[in-house]
Amino acid sequence: MDNNYNTIIIGAGPAGMEAAYRLSVFGIRTCLLEKEAETGGHLLKWDRIFPEGRKASEILGFMRKRIESGNITTITSARIDSIRKKAGNGYEAELATNEGKKTITADTILIACGFKLFNAAKKEEYGYGIYNRVITNADLENLFKTNSTGSIIGENRTPAVGFVHCVGSRDEKAGNRHCSKVCCATAVKQAMEIKEAYPQATVYCFYMDLRMFGRHYEDMYLEAQQKYGIRFIRGRVSEVSEDCNERIVAKAEDTLSGKPVKITLDMLVLMSGIACNPDSGKITGSLSIENDSDGFIKYADSIFGQVKGPGIFTAGTCTGPKTLPETINEAGEAAAVIYGYLKGNSNNF
Amino acid sequence: MTPDINFGFGLSKSSRINLDNADNEKFRELAAREPDILKCMACGSCAASCSAGNFTELNLRKIILMLTRGAEKETVRQLESCMFCGKCILVCPRGINTRHLIKSIREIYCRPCAEPETGNGI
Amino acid sequence: MEDRIPGGYDNFVIPFLAGMAFILAYCIAKLIGIIMHMPSDDRKKLLLSLVNPRIIAKNIADIFSDCLLHVKIFRKNPKLGYMHMSIAFGWFMLIVIGHMEVAEFMPEKLHTFYYPIFFNYFVLKTADSGTALAVYEFLMDFFLLMVLSGVGIAVFKRFRSSIVGMKRTTRPLTRDRIAMYALWAIFPLRLIAEASVAGTGGGGFLAMSIYKAISPLMPESANVLPIWWAYSISLGIFFFMLPYSRYMHIPTEAVLIMFRNAGIRATNAETGFSLLEQYSCSTCGMCIDACPMTNIAEGEKNASVYFIRNLRYGGGKSSTKSIANACLMCNKCVAACPVGINSCELKRRYRSADYDGMPARQYGFVPSMETHPATIGNTAGNPCMEDHGNRISASYAIAGTKGQSRGVDSKPHKTASCKQNEDNVYNKKAIYFSGCMTQLTPSVSRSMERIFKAAGIDYSYMDRDGGLCCGRPLMLAGNDRDAASLIEKNTGIIETSGAEILVLSCPICYKVFKENYRLGNIRIMHHTEYINGLIESGRIKIRRTDEKLAYHDPCELGRGCGIYDEPRKIISAAGHLAEASENRESSICCGGSLGSITLTYDQRSKVTQAALESLACGSPDRIVTACPLCLKTFGTYSALPVEDIAFTVARSLEN
Repeated sequence: MDNNYNTIIIGAGPAGMEAAYRLSVFGIRTCLLEKEAETGGHLLKWDRIFPEGRKASEILGFMRKRIESGNITTITSARIDSIRKKAGNGYEAELATNEGKKTITADTILIACGFKLFNAAKKEEYGYGIYNRVITNADLENLFKTNSTGSIIGENRTPAVGFVHCVGSRDEKAGNRHCSKVCCATAVKQAMEIKEAYPQATVYCFYMDLRMFGRHYEDMYLEAQQKYGIRFIRGRVSEVSEDCNERIVAKAEDTLSGKPVKITLDMLVLMSGIACNPDSGKITGSLSIENDSDGFIKYADSIFGQVKGPGIFTAGTCTGPKTLPETINEAGEAAAVIYGYLKGNSNNF
Repeated sequence: MTPDINFGFGLSKSSRINLDNADNEKFRELAAREPDILKCMACGSCAASCSAGNFTELNLRKIILMLTRGAEKETVRQLESCMFCGKCILVCPRGINTRHLIKSIREIYCRPCAEPETGNGI
Repeated sequence: MEDRIPGGYDNFVIPFLAGMAFILAYCIAKLIGIIMHMPSDDRKKLLLSLVNPRIIAKNIADIFSDCLLHVKIFRKNPKLGYMHMSIAFGWFMLIVIGHMEVAEFMPEKLHTFYYPIFFNYFVLKTADSGTALAVYEFLMDFFLLMVLSGVGIAVFKRFRSSIVGMKRTTRPLTRDRIAMYALWAIFPLRLIAEASVAGTGGGGFLAMSIYKAISPLMPESANVLPIWWAYSISLGIFFFMLPYSRYMHIPTEAVLIMFRNAGIRATNAETGFSLLEQYSCSTCGMCIDACPMTNIAEGEKNASVYFIRNLRYGGGKSSTKSIANACLMCNKCVAACPVGINSCELKRRYRSADYDGMPARQYGFVPSMETHPATIGNTAGNPCMEDHGNRISASYAIAGTKGQSRGVDSKPHKTASCKQNEDNVYNKKAIYFSGCMTQLTPSVSRSMERIFKAAGIDYSYMDRDGGLCCGRPLMLAGNDRDAASLIEKNTGIIETSGAEILVLSCPICYKVFKENYRLGNIRIMHHTEYINGLIESGRIKIRRTDEKLAYHDPCELGRGCGIYDEPRKIISAAGHLAEASENRESSICCGGSLGSITLTYDQRSKVTQAALESLACGSPDRIVTACPLCLKTFGTYSALPVEDIAFTVARSLEN
């Protein structure tokens, strides 16, 4: 009886944790699986979250507290060796955990395996992994967390810092045609944080289209311009090299003035986009549901969401880029649909 | 005699692009030959990495933009400094076949009667 | 032996004679036309080659091995090789031995063209012919059997090309079919014809045994004429169809070999030497399987064989043009071609027509040679250049001497003086030209700089801050005129640099520098050659790991310049070499080639996938290439890490 649940939730990031909490409120027993040693997903890597700059650790702490419930069994460092439909109803998964092998069963599955940050080294022209001063958005969050931006920028109190939007997003060459939705806001947030740490810094954002949609995001953009004096250049950085002082030389076109620009920087931050989690293919493959050509899990309906397959549900970024609030919303919605399904209402897509 | 009113601007033409008079015929021919031109999102990667753009006015993004506006005269001559090196193909995030585009622009706009060309045969 | 038919003539020889006269006249007329269309320099070369004993010997050897024995096809595909060899060599021997037989027994008839062909019909075997005739009879039947076996395979191949290991074969035209059926008919008809008169004309093991089997059914030689007519007509049809069919390659190939050995190359796509190449194409279709575009849906339409066929028969101009513009110029079809037709060059020449009447490109913007940062003694204006100018030679000079002595120790089998010469190359000032593409792959240029420094080389980096294109991409597009002005500009910059070695990272640049630049005594090296030399001379030392590294032969480096071994030596020094399933001459283009003008991004990706599949064959840990363009192209799709060979070396450096 111990290993039987109502729902197996794959992935204990924000989506998985929120769904587990919502389901526990409904009295539904869930098993929350996480392949890493800790719950939290990408929240673990981030320092602050836009738009207000709340601490990720604070959000995570709140979410962790909410999943401390008798209805939720959380297993970290869990590897799913196999997952399949049982004869009759329900699903069965074989796990490898720190306590050894384990088989669990459940009536439903919620896939919340999230995304993978695009590997910026794939865009070799940006020199990530080649030049020390080229880092990614995740690296910068880590530097903020550990208060060590100086390890890249050095003692310079008037550094020049550049942000490259759309790294691995809107890029056929990177295999990601989609817009990652969150990078523009993240870049503006990080640019402002740099200015807070280095008030004398010159900060540039190289963007293709600035997608600061929705409430409060335009405010951020305005604040970045007005309060922090961040310079926005409409043009994609196409080439990065290093000068003799090991500073970064970035080339782009300022498309609004129609001139190529060249700029020397102390730090270049690449806004790695949201790419599909390749592991989701293994899970969907054995549950015979589909992934789109971009690797994200396919929705059964473009408006109402959810996937094809009785008793299988999704939440969060495994179906495409989403902001944190959107992810939390979708997790709540998934919990409601699962609740309905378990109560015999199978009216979903 | 027509009234010759001079407001001090002489015979200088309006600097405005008149979209009503845009010559879309050539652009349609160009888009048929290299449909990739319709994919451009004007990110400027091509212009930024252009080997000749280092030294000259050559700016493929601008050329594409001007052609979609039907104003080719000022821009297509820039292509004469193109070295056809292909860097722009590599950096284009939309995978535009820029070299064929450049060749097609030159053939359609820089030569009076260009021979019709079909696609790539595939 | 004596005449069986008084006068030694019958009307059935007319079809054969007419066909023969026609084809001879046609060939002579065409040959004159081709020679007239060649540049006068080429005509001079041809004349000189005809009196040069070395070239004559080479001509004979090449004609024998390529036209008769088909050694090239044999090496690649023994079954297909046998098919070609048996028909060509067998038929040739039938003709030669046939003439010898006539010369031996009926010398007075040798001047009649037809007599050796229809010998058995016209002679009456007499008792005094002895063992010599028996030997002739045996040989004739032996070679006839050989031809028949080849024809048998050919017939079978038509229906199932997989029997000779070909996945795809050409779609023959009606004219080719007529000639083909005539060719297929010739030899069985010859056998039956000879068997029918074996009672009087004699015959070897084959003809005689058939004669014995059928003679009870046929009255002696009375009804044999129709068979001889059929044999002669099939020969006649074949000869008449020759100029209009693929079989024109039979008389043309030998001429092509002679012209090629004389040093003549195509100067355009339509006349002169290229016409010879067009006629020499047997449309065997080996280029179809070779072409990387077969991985694209309907891509095999773009195989070289169809381009050449279009050129020759004046097929649809737009389709000829679209094949020419789609081609990746990877030269794989050229390497696969048993006749050695340089179809990529034909396509390149064909493309050049697109530039007729176009305004020349303007490269007046190029910085003057005096102010170019690569020229020594003028680095003051650029603070970064000082580090990489003369200063380096001073600070690394000591390391260089050390390296030299290590090198002598590590290779004791080489003589000291020879070693000295090799090593001298690396004491010279080098100029590094990374090329346009390498500016998008900083791992390559940085690795090269690390290697130069580790080896203590005095070098300057010509295009650190962006440079001129080498001109090859324009040439690939068929625009030699504009390429020439880029070549001139770059030549000036390099000559004033004072360097003695030019090191290139990009095989596209390397090819044009090797073939089209005149740089005097400056040695031109691709970085694979250069690095291999540094390793062999001990100037740099690298760690060897257990990693399995697959090497991708870039088109322009491998097939383009013949560099296959140096990169493999480097890889073997750094790890274990895992060969791709299609490597060296058969390496598949990465798909990123600048050769193709029109292939779309999606179409190219299919080629890339095929190349990656081939590279993954030896289950390597990494894929190594030696071209920035391949590196970028593979990087997009490869599941395995991809790196340039310079990076492999730089990350394994011990000094």
